[in-house]
Amino acid sequence: MRTKTFSESYRALTRLAPYKDAWGWYACLLLALVLVPLVAPAYIANYGTLIFIAATGAVGLNLVTGTAGMISLGHAGFLALGAYTTAILVTDHGFGLLPAMAASGCVAAVVSLLVGIPSLRLKGLYLAITTLAFSIIVTTLILEASSLTGGSGGKTVTRPDFFGFSMDSGPAIYYLALVVAVLTVLIALNLLRSRVGRAWSALHDYDIAASLMGINLRRYKLLAFAVSAFIAGIAGSVLALHLRYLNIDSFALITSIEVLTMIIVGGLGSVRGAVLGAIVITLLPELSARLFDLIGGSMKSLSAANAPELKGVIYALVIMVFLRFEPDGIAARWAHIKRFWSDWPYARQTK
Amino acid sequence: MSYLSSLVVSGLVVGTMYGLVAMGFAIIYKVSRVVNFAQGEVMMLIAYISFSVALRTNGSMPLIVLSVIASSVLLGVLIERLVVRPMLGQPIFSLVMMTIALAVLLRSIIGLVWGTDPMRMPGGSAGASFDVLGTNIQPAQIALVGVYLSACAGIWAFLRYSVLGIAMRATATDPTVALLMGLSVSKLYRVAWILSATLAGLTGLLFANIYHVGLDMGHVGIQAFPAVILGGIDSVFGAALGGLVIGVAENLAGGYIGSGYKEIAGFAIILLVMMVRPHGLFGEKDIERV
Repeated sequence: MRTKTFSESYRALTRLAPYKDAWGWYACLLLALVLVPLVAPAYIANYGTLIFIAATGAVGLNLVTGTAGMISLGHAGFLALGAYTTAILVTDHGFGLLPAMAASGCVAAVVSLLVGIPSLRLKGLYLAITTLAFSIIVTTLILEASSLTGGSGGKTVTRPDFFGFSMDSGPAIYYLALVVAVLTVLIALNLLRSRVGRAWSALHDYDIAASLMGINLRRYKLLAFAVSAFIAGIAGSVLALHLRYLNIDSFALITSIEVLTMIIVGGLGSVRGAVLGAIVITLLPELSARLFDLIGGSMKSLSAANAPELKGVIYALVIMVFLRFEPDGIAARWAHIKRFWSDWPYARQTK
Repeated sequence: MSYLSSLVVSGLVVGTMYGLVAMGFAIIYKVSRVVNFAQGEVMMLIAYISFSVALRTNGSMPLIVLSVIASSVLLGVLIERLVVRPMLGQPIFSLVMMTIALAVLLRSIIGLVWGTDPMRMPGGSAGASFDVLGTNIQPAQIALVGVYLSACAGIWAFLRYSVLGIAMRATATDPTVALLMGLSVSKLYRVAWILSATLAGLTGLLFANIYHVGLDMGHVGIQAFPAVILGGIDSVFGAALGGLVIGVAENLAGGYIGSGYKEIAGFAIILLVMMVRPHGLFGEKDIERV
């Protein structure tokens, strides 16, 4: 039985996985995910793609909101910037996959400095509303620049080739999203255990104290926004390739709230939490629709006719229940359960 | 010139609406340090309730106003008790997300109950319109300006002279000391929520009479953010004034630049103001001690 709950060196504290056999399990998970499009029906792989994109975005938002403690209500704006950059570059200018994705991330990161600069002086609430203002401005400008973006008519996206491979199939986009999600998770984990991540969590706890400890607030706040926006831009790019048709309505305030729901449900500041939250929230509307179908009768017709409203009710209730009863999210619950089994029979049923 | 003045006049009228919602927002923040992102949705819900009452009663004004006040009080108390009170003392992020969730919830419930299509208020915009500086002003818009002015005066007098208002200001300064002085802080929070829901409800009723009832009413709530931020989030009169500024600014942007820019004029202004004055024009600067 493993009871290793202490570390003897700094290296042990910053290790990516505390136990060696964890790597084996992660490899098994990865293998299973690679096999999904080969064995499972297409709609399951489709959900897989959506989950990977959501997980990428949620891990990115979690860096700025969960770890660095700066509330962003504007991530839909970064997502939209990434998606439209890819759409314009690939469809209208014939860019390849990698340059288009890199450009999407960079555009979002550069624009994020516009929000980042006010964030140097703003806190909490003022910052939240500034980011909200930012995303409303971005979506309105995208709508107005209709010669570039198709305006309210939307924009179709062609899928580019990747070194001779055609990306124009469901499984190809699935693997792209998988690779992006895995890389994002690894980058986030490595950032969090390095100087940058420690500086961000110091900012989160108390920024004045952090600056007294020699953390350059200006640099790390801007960096948090830029990294997070870069990841959101990449997620938007993959989303554009997945959907093949962009409409500005998909980047409304509710999208930002959806991603925030993911990190609240999963657990603020935890990479595993963001991924778990992305899985739960992406599948939730589908699962609840199934549930309503099971109940049958009037509920079934209600769920068919009022899908967006029911989705709203479900998100709202999920946020409220988690904030009230499990503010640390699924990740904390997971750690709790794990500890219960490894300590059994000495585990205590306390919080 | 007449184009400009008509833009300004209609901007001021729209601005009073933003100002009223923003005042409700600022009252809650000032007293309890809670941001109510659901202010626009509260306004919308009460407007829909008054719409249903108007349908049943053939648009009898006294009954509608009574229903607005009753539902505002009820809604204020319910939100304070069920949503906000359990979260007091939590980090600001939790509170913000809680009220955002409330906003999504109210909006979805309205969509489920009343449907998503806008509807005309029975008996709305009755009576002849006036002409002010080349702008057509409906009687309901005059009423809106009247409510705005009396709300400003009423809240000023309330905070300045009534015992309850003074107690609220004390709580705003320091809730712990106010509690030690024997004030029932939770009762004051409740009063703040009722007051703010009533302001939102009256605005909703007037909006419904001037335009229609529909899910786009939440837009007023969104535009109230720049108003309240511009004025400084803990300044009730700053919020009222901010509403007017945002209303005029968005009308000017819509009139001279392009109708699409109407939506973002307010937000562009606050992005600029925030860079220069991070606490808004009239907000109090927090002094932080480490």
